[in-house]
Amino acid sequence: MMKLVKKTPLNKVHHELRARMTDFAGWQLPVWYTSILEEHRAVRSGAGMFDVSDMGRVWITGRKSGVFLDRLLTRRARRLEVGSSQLCLLCLEDGGILDDLWAYRVGTDRYLIVWNAGDIEQKLGWLQRWAGSEADIVIQDKSADTVMVAVQGPAVCQLQNLKDVSHLPRFGHTQTRIEGVEVLAARTGYTGEDGFEIIADTANALQLWESFMKQGLKPCGLAARDSLRLEAGMLLYGQDMDKSTNPFEAGLGWLVEMDNRDFIGKSALLEIKRQGLKRKHVGFQMIGQGIARSGYKIVRCGQGVGTVTSGGYAPTLDVNIGFGYVPIELATIGTDIEIMIRNKPVAAKVVSRQFYKRGAQNEL
Amino acid sequence: MNSKEYKYTSEHEWICPESKNKGKVGLADYAQSQLGDIVFLDLPAPGTKVEQGKKMGEVESVKAVSDIFAPASGQVLEINQTVVDEPGLVNKDPYGAGWLVRLELSEPSELNALMDSEKYEKFVAELSEQESE
Repeated sequence: MMKLVKKTPLNKVHHELRARMTDFAGWQLPVWYTSILEEHRAVRSGAGMFDVSDMGRVWITGRKSGVFLDRLLTRRARRLEVGSSQLCLLCLEDGGILDDLWAYRVGTDRYLIVWNAGDIEQKLGWLQRWAGSEADIVIQDKSADTVMVAVQGPAVCQLQNLKDVSHLPRFGHTQTRIEGVEVLAARTGYTGEDGFEIIADTANALQLWESFMKQGLKPCGLAARDSLRLEAGMLLYGQDMDKSTNPFEAGLGWLVEMDNRDFIGKSALLEIKRQGLKRKHVGFQMIGQGIARSGYKIVRCGQGVGTVTSGGYAPTLDVNIGFGYVPIELATIGTDIEIMIRNKPVAAKVVSRQFYKRGAQNEL
Repeated sequence: MNSKEYKYTSEHEWICPESKNKGKVGLADYAQSQLGDIVFLDLPAPGTKVEQGKKMGEVESVKAVSDIFAPASGQVLEINQTVVDEPGLVNKDPYGAGWLVRLELSEPSELNALMDSEKYEKFVAELSEQESE
C-alpha cells in the first residue's frame, strides 16, 4: 500500500520557515528549522515553541468515564481534581506498556488524554473494547480537529500572551483565550523546563502559532524535542519502552498505583514484582569518544548484556549520553559498561537517568 | 564559489591540491547542511593509509551518523585537531577552518576522476531540486 503521511495544521508554516522535514510515526514534521543546537539552547535558556499536533488527543466523557479510566490507567483518574493532570501508563493484561499518556481532568465527568502518535488505531480499539457498549462512556478522538503547540522554556511566564495562565500550578490546566483564540492551556511539557502545552481548534492553528511567533519564540523541531527530553531523563515510547517492557524495569513504577484498586494488568504486574526484576532501564554517560544511538549493543568484558534505547549528544552538558536496558546486577550507578559503536567497544558508565535537572548544578 | 582548485566527490568530500602531491580534505557545504550541527568527528590517525572511495572516518551530527570517504588514495599526514575539538567548525566554515585532514597522495592522477567546482555545483543543484519535489 502507498504510504500516507499526515500533515499537521501547521505544515505549511513549517515549509515557509524552511524547516527540514521528516516522517515520524506517520506524520510529516519539522526536524529542525535553523539548527538543533540553537533550538535546544533556546528552550534551556529562554523559550521555544513546538508543533506537537502529532500527539493524539482523545476526550473521554460521560458519567462512567472516571470509573472507565481508573480501570485502564495505572494511576487513579478520579483522584485528579478538575483542572489538574498526571502522567500515567496504559498497560496490557500481561503488564506490557501500550502507551504512556497524560490524563487531564477537564470536568467532573470529562477527561482528556494526550498520547503518542504511534499505533492510534490499535490504542483506540483497546479503549473501545473495554468501554464496550456502555452508553455512559463516550470516546472522541479529536486529534484531526485540533492543533497542539508546546511553548517551553524558563522565560515562558514572561510572555505577554501567557500572562493570564502564569498562575497555573505545575500540571494544572484551564480553558482560556490567547489573543482571542479559545484554548486549553496546560502547564505540562516534555523538555524538563517550565512551559505550557496548548490545544486549540484546527481553524485557529495559524493564529495561535503566529501569536507566539510575534513574541519572538524560536520554532523548534523534533530533533530538539528528542535531545531535550533525553537530557531531562524522559522516556520515549517505542524506543525506551513498548509492549514487551513492564513499568518496573522501565523505571516507571512510580506511575503505578497498586494498592486498594484493580486495573488492567495489575495481576500480571504483581507477579512480575514478586518474581523480581531481571533487567533495568538505566542512563549512561560515554567515557570514551563516540555517540551511542538507539539499537547499539551494550557489552561488558566482550559479552553482549543489553541494548541502547536512546542516545545522543547532550548540548547542555556537552557530553554524550544515553538510555538502555542492562541486567539488574549491572544497573547500579557507577557500573562500567561499553557501547559497541561500529564494531568498537567504547567505554561508558551507568549514571542517573536525570542527566539534566532544572535549576541544579548539572555536572555529570 | 570556491577556487577552481577544489575537487569534489559525489559523497560531498572536497580535496584541495597543494604542492608536492599533497592535498587538504574536507566536507562540502551541502554535506554539512544536510547533517546539521556536527558534534563528533572520527578521523584517521596520521600515518593511516587511505584509498580513494573507501571509508576513512565518520562524522556525527546531533541527529545523524555518516561515513567520510577518502577523495584520493594516499597517507594521512596531519589531522585538523582544532576541528576535532570543535566539530561545529565544519558547519561554520566547511571550506576553510573546518578542513579535516591533509593527505600525501599516492596517485595524484586520481583527482581527474573527481568533479570540478562547476560540475559539482550542477550536481548539488540537481540534488536540491529532487529534495524539494
